[in-house]
Amino acid sequence: MEQENQGCPEPSEETEVSQQAAGDGYQVKLEFFEGPLDLLLFLIRKKKIDINDIPMAVITRDYLDYLEKKDQINLDREAEFLFIASLLIYIKSQMLLPREQETLAEDDPRQMLIDRLLEFQKIKIASSLLREKEEVELQCWRRTFRPPLEKPDELELLQVSLFDLAETFFLIMKRKERENLRIIKGKDVSAEEKLKEIIDYLGKNGSMDFLDYFSSQDSLEEALVSFFCLLELIKNHLVIATQEELFQTIRVWLRKDKTPHQVHGSSHE
Amino acid sequence: MNDQLKAILEVLIFLSQEPLTVDKMREVLGEIPEDELQAVLQALMAEFSREEHGIQIVRSAGGYLFTTKPEHDQWIKRLLQIEKKARLSVAGLETLSIIAYHQPVTQAEVSAIRSVDSTYSIKSLLQKKLIKIVGRKKAPGNPLVYRTSEKFLEYFGLNSLDDLPREEEIAKILEEEKQTIS
Repeated sequence: MEQENQGCPEPSEETEVSQQAAGDGYQVKLEFFEGPLDLLLFLIRKKKIDINDIPMAVITRDYLDYLEKKDQINLDREAEFLFIASLLIYIKSQMLLPREQETLAEDDPRQMLIDRLLEFQKIKIASSLLREKEEVELQCWRRTFRPPLEKPDELELLQVSLFDLAETFFLIMKRKERENLRIIKGKDVSAEEKLKEIIDYLGKNGSMDFLDYFSSQDSLEEALVSFFCLLELIKNHLVIATQEELFQTIRVWLRKDKTPHQVHGSSHE
Repeated sequence: MNDQLKAILEVLIFLSQEPLTVDKMREVLGEIPEDELQAVLQALMAEFSREEHGIQIVRSAGGYLFTTKPEHDQWIKRLLQIEKKARLSVAGLETLSIIAYHQPVTQAEVSAIRSVDSTYSIKSLLQKKLIKIVGRKKAPGNPLVYRTSEKFLEYFGLNSLDDLPREEEIAKILEEEKQTIS
């Protein structure tokens, strides 16, 4: 797992600090680098090497030297650095193998590494350009509150995606799972009945609190069926699901432009 | 110049929660000739860009939005007693750049480009709503596919994805860096 370097200096400062430190003979900590490619790019720059013609032996030795300088062991992070180390050694070994024909340019075993480094370099620059934009934007303040509205149901709510819905569903299922450990029930739940029940409920109450409704279900199975019914309703554009913030409850509304009769032919008002 | 329309647009942009799109303006105002609307918007933006105004109208995520001007940041911070606004972490920004340029993209693809496991970064960006899940890839394991969100554009003050730093711009900086090194 990577570490979130919240307190870490800027990429540009970072390189400066590293280079300064490197003046005293490789006193750079691995923690300065976001990842193995970051370290590799740093080494390449330091040696003023052309990225398209990397002397593998030199760079591999340098790279491994850095790995040995580590203060503490963080296995996940280590694995990522070691993976690239093994790649470097592999490439070097490929280059040592005798070949029948002269190596063609496109057969250069280093090409894969070069491509990765070039792409990563681009991303680093794009990142720094976005950082500049972020810096400006953070200085431009905007209103973040809405004008107060009379009725709560006039609030502008976010449309939620099926993924948000599923997320909330699994949250509830986890709760239900614990509750249901002791209960053994043999009740059949029909999807059609559930569908009617939900529409009835919405017709009567106007809207529905997703979390509340599912918590009120008797069994895991019933909750499951109601969730699929809800997905079905959304798919058929019969209801709207909205959520104010991620991981909060989801409110379900009947669409005003459609009545349940159109699809169900049931006789509910 | 239609002064009344100008005043109404100013109000609408001021009150809108999200950057106000031209479509939304039309929805509120009814039919207005395109060139008239554009001319009034241009005039409005020009007016607020003058030095005597502390507030400006910017184009963001496909709409128009009131923000304060960056040069007055220090006064706002004093008023609100805020030291510094939180910025994205280096890892987060790197991950976001990859998603922005390679979208639609999966977690594994992002991690491969960075050579660093990016699960955590992606989760954190999702929570900040800077990226969104747009579906699953038809590949082994059906991994989730990510894209940048509207909020991403707003966060970086971009009007659309076309405003992202271009390939040539990046190449130019690379060239400059190369020269300073050698």
